[in-house]
Amino acid sequence: MSNILVGIRWIVWLAVAIAVTGVPGTGSIEAGDLELHWAFQPPRRHAVPRSDGSTPIDRFVRARLASRQLAPSTAAPNAVQVRRVTLDLIGLLPTSARIEAYLADSRPDRWGRLVDELLASPHFGERWGRHWLDLARFADSSGYESDSPRQIWPYRDWVIEAWNSDMGFERFVTEQLAGDLLPAADVSQQIATGFQCNVIYDPGVRYEAIVDQVQTVGSVFLGLTLGCAQCHTHKTDPVSHEEFYRLYAFFNETSIQRLPLPGFDTGYRDGLVIRDEKKKSDRPTGPATLVLKSAPQATHVFEQGDPSQPGQKVVTGFPAFLATARVGKEKSSPPDRIELARWILSENNPLTDRVTVNRVWQRLFGTGLVETENDFGVQTPPPSHPGLLDHLALEFRHHGRRFKPLIRSIVLSETYRQSSDVRPELAAVDASNRLVGRQRRLRLEAEVIRDISLQAGGVLSEKMLGPSVFPDQSPGVLDARATAAKWTPSEGQDRWRRGLYTWHWRLTPHPLKPLFDAPEGVTSCTRRDRSNVPVQSLALLNDVSFYTAARGLGRWSWLSGPKSADRVDTTMLRCLGRRPSPFERRVLLELNESQRATLQHDLAACRAILGLDAGAADDDLVERATWVLVARVILNLDEFFTRE
Amino acid sequence: MHNPASAITSSLSRRAFFGAGGVSLASMSLSQLSAASSGPRPQPSHVAPRARSVIFLFQVGGPSQLDLFDPKPEVNRRDGEELPESLLKQVSFAQIQEKRPRLMGSPYRFRRHGHSGAWVSELMPHTAGIVDRITIARTLRTDDTNHMFAELLMNTGWRRFGRPSLGSWVAYGLGSQSQEMPAFLVLGTKPRSKSANYGSGFLPSQFQATVLRDAGEPILNLSNPPGVTSRRQRLSIDAINRLNRVRLEASGDDEIRARIASYEMAFRMQARAPGLLSLGSETRETLKLYGIEDPSRPSFARNCLMARRLVEQGVRFVQVFHGDWDHHTDIGKRLPGECRVTDQGSAALVLDLARRGLLDDTLVIWGGELGRTPVAQKPMAAGGRVGRDHQIEAFTMWFAGGGVRAGQVIGETNDLGCLPTEAGWHVHDLQATILHALGLDHERLTYRYEGREFRLTDIHGEVKSELFARS
Repeated sequence: MSNILVGIRWIVWLAVAIAVTGVPGTGSIEAGDLELHWAFQPPRRHAVPRSDGSTPIDRFVRARLASRQLAPSTAAPNAVQVRRVTLDLIGLLPTSARIEAYLADSRPDRWGRLVDELLASPHFGERWGRHWLDLARFADSSGYESDSPRQIWPYRDWVIEAWNSDMGFERFVTEQLAGDLLPAADVSQQIATGFQCNVIYDPGVRYEAIVDQVQTVGSVFLGLTLGCAQCHTHKTDPVSHEEFYRLYAFFNETSIQRLPLPGFDTGYRDGLVIRDEKKKSDRPTGPATLVLKSAPQATHVFEQGDPSQPGQKVVTGFPAFLATARVGKEKSSPPDRIELARWILSENNPLTDRVTVNRVWQRLFGTGLVETENDFGVQTPPPSHPGLLDHLALEFRHHGRRFKPLIRSIVLSETYRQSSDVRPELAAVDASNRLVGRQRRLRLEAEVIRDISLQAGGVLSEKMLGPSVFPDQSPGVLDARATAAKWTPSEGQDRWRRGLYTWHWRLTPHPLKPLFDAPEGVTSCTRRDRSNVPVQSLALLNDVSFYTAARGLGRWSWLSGPKSADRVDTTMLRCLGRRPSPFERRVLLELNESQRATLQHDLAACRAILGLDAGAADDDLVERATWVLVARVILNLDEFFTRE
Repeated sequence: MHNPASAITSSLSRRAFFGAGGVSLASMSLSQLSAASSGPRPQPSHVAPRARSVIFLFQVGGPSQLDLFDPKPEVNRRDGEELPESLLKQVSFAQIQEKRPRLMGSPYRFRRHGHSGAWVSELMPHTAGIVDRITIARTLRTDDTNHMFAELLMNTGWRRFGRPSLGSWVAYGLGSQSQEMPAFLVLGTKPRSKSANYGSGFLPSQFQATVLRDAGEPILNLSNPPGVTSRRQRLSIDAINRLNRVRLEASGDDEIRARIASYEMAFRMQARAPGLLSLGSETRETLKLYGIEDPSRPSFARNCLMARRLVEQGVRFVQVFHGDWDHHTDIGKRLPGECRVTDQGSAALVLDLARRGLLDDTLVIWGGELGRTPVAQKPMAAGGRVGRDHQIEAFTMWFAGGGVRAGQVIGETNDLGCLPTEAGWHVHDLQATILHALGLDHERLTYRYEGREFRLTDIHGEVKSELFARS
């Protein structure tokens, strides 16, 4: 697709154009700007404020609130907290039984126990791994015009397993950037290098692909838009033209190769027909993945970012403004990718840990302490809570840069457990909630909305890992493709797997994904939008996957007990984690009555609603169909697909 | 706050949009709620409106005005000469690195057209055919050579992310005239800074654009699932929104208000959108006018026709994005190609609106976020794929309908086409002028956020009344 190609080209141009000239007409960045900029100073220990609060996080947050004469919000109701933390940590609904057990648990550490239970769940890796896959621009196709399929799901599985095992961030980063260079690299370490193989790539666009690899390192690890998001009137980028190409050299000296993986499950099923018959041989023959391999070659600066104009030769190296981050003795040979990882991870690198913990905060509160989570550059204003950001960064290091202790410390705070209700007096001074005087209601992500709907409907498959799958999707989605492809729904439980296993054609993704703001996977995505438009309502009401969920949930309601009021209560509990208020119960019972009235003499409609054959006989058709329609309403409540 | 919408909307806005406490949100009826975002009602305006709707044909990347609408014989004469130093100091390039870039003439033949005698190049024969129906403004200017930020400035009045877009300001100010479709719809390829160009920023979410899909069905899931009649759907949505209102009252979260409006709109769209979005009822003659061979294939022309159908139904603001016009290299091949794709559809839209009596009420805007330089961007070597860099000091847009005094050419650039001879129109002036056409005063269409009033034009903007016929 030309706009993708052009988009990349544009990044290239800017990367280079700006880096070359610094700032046309206004001179380059002054050294002082770099030295003074807060984000380029090493994190330091700030004294934890002596305000109220049971954790340091709370004391940092409350000190700032107090400075504006504001109080924090009260704790959210227990059931809301349980649903919130369950959705945040594993992306699924808490079961009714788990909620009731929590409410009945009188032990003082019941919250910590719940959190530990969730952190130990294998679904934790699915939830947080998906966040990482956004950054890694993971997809099952190449992008560009042909958008040809690629087999790289083993990388997705590697990420999920890394999060589940709480792999230290050092190993996590090093294997993804340089797993192939590690001594006696095993298959898993090679699979990890898929991080950089996720780049959109076709033969002939190698240059753009490598620039994206540099950009991705910049935004994911350093929070810097390396030479990209600048303009002529701002003093900006700390990376010079030549330095850009030194970073470029790390990836220029690699190639992306297919690594067969004997012993893995087979990757492709016949439903996926790719290209035309002539090219049938292109189809992968067995399980494989893409890996990065060293491919030594000379790197030149490209004048004006034009690969047809090679300038001086350069070798790998690091930008001067973070040169101190390099560890170990200066070697005479240029650094390799392992050293790139070390440089990123060096404790003298002031950015990496801040950027990383900020993004974790963002996932749990909707906004980072630094709002521009992908831009910690010279233009970036200080974080809302500078002391807290540094505190989290240093604690992260202190715990071996493991994510589970970091996440645990945040969700154990009172700040995390606050109510998300809007408070007028707070909104009047802090409408965007930068002071974190409350939690936020966050509409769930594309994959999670579908997952929990299927879960409530009792049809979600919790099968993990393996080749990407093909759930139902509306016809015609693949029509726009330059190269034809078929979408044959998977059979059996693969049709009902969690959304992160859905096959992702970059140019024609499953329509529910862009509809609910999932990234295309063209470049690294550090933050998803949360749009709110009528076409989403249409999908939630009418899309076949959601309707299947409603059928399942309706059946479950109908079977859950003999009395309508009890059915309403247990179904609300199953979906929202709480029982309905008397008014809500009344609304749903009235709905039940009025829908039953429309169905009473329309057995054909009942069969259609239930998905039964025309001839199917059943005494309870009307009743069962009615409960499908009631269940469908509950699955369409804003509260259902919102984490409160 | 100055929202010129009805009293209901104003009082609703005051307490609900600002999150001020005291008044129970649940006391509002559903019809009031939906009225806030979509009710079909004549809107009281700040000034007498000249247009009811806007179609903005946004040419992403920056078309080369010097090869299309702003002929410069002097540049042709001095082809290959260096740009004089005095001028060099006054212009900003995005990419050109040379100390003394060289002028590059246009290889395309320009001719005067129509009664107005406006110059249009041979690359735009269809647009040339409608010059008496459009007004060409040649001295737009912007502040940023970076596409992403120039796009944002054009579409949100601000060079960074986070502000409401032009279309969402209009939707906020005027609501929709259509009960069946949202007030603000977007079609076509996405601009570089993506949804920030048509998002609602800090305005309530129901004012963000709904994006139509380019290929296949423009909107999926318009049909009810098996067994669900319109009546059953209505009962369902009533229950959903009764319960959503309970949650809204408890949480105070405006997103729920937008969600309620979304469900109401979704129901109405189901009734009308399938017919509205199907081109099946268009005659062969109309399709031919637009140059559409296969209405099922995505194309710019198809989006233009769709835009006409949408404003016909009362959609307030339609933005068709198209590009890429970013011809730094290989402009000789890429520019004619882009023109072939866009020229006929753009011109056909104006003609089609006119013959249906819709043009007077619809302001059509054609243009991108910036323009291109009279100097060449290397490589200039023989056979090289030369292009033009970004120009922000002067670029061309055209306007039609909506009270526009057609047949004018407004503004003039210097002999070398790189600077305006007079002040020209800043992007903020353009925005003030577009709002003015709709009857909105850009200084009074404000929204209070975090303690201050925001507006589309920040603290700038001047209505360019020369665009309009004297009323």
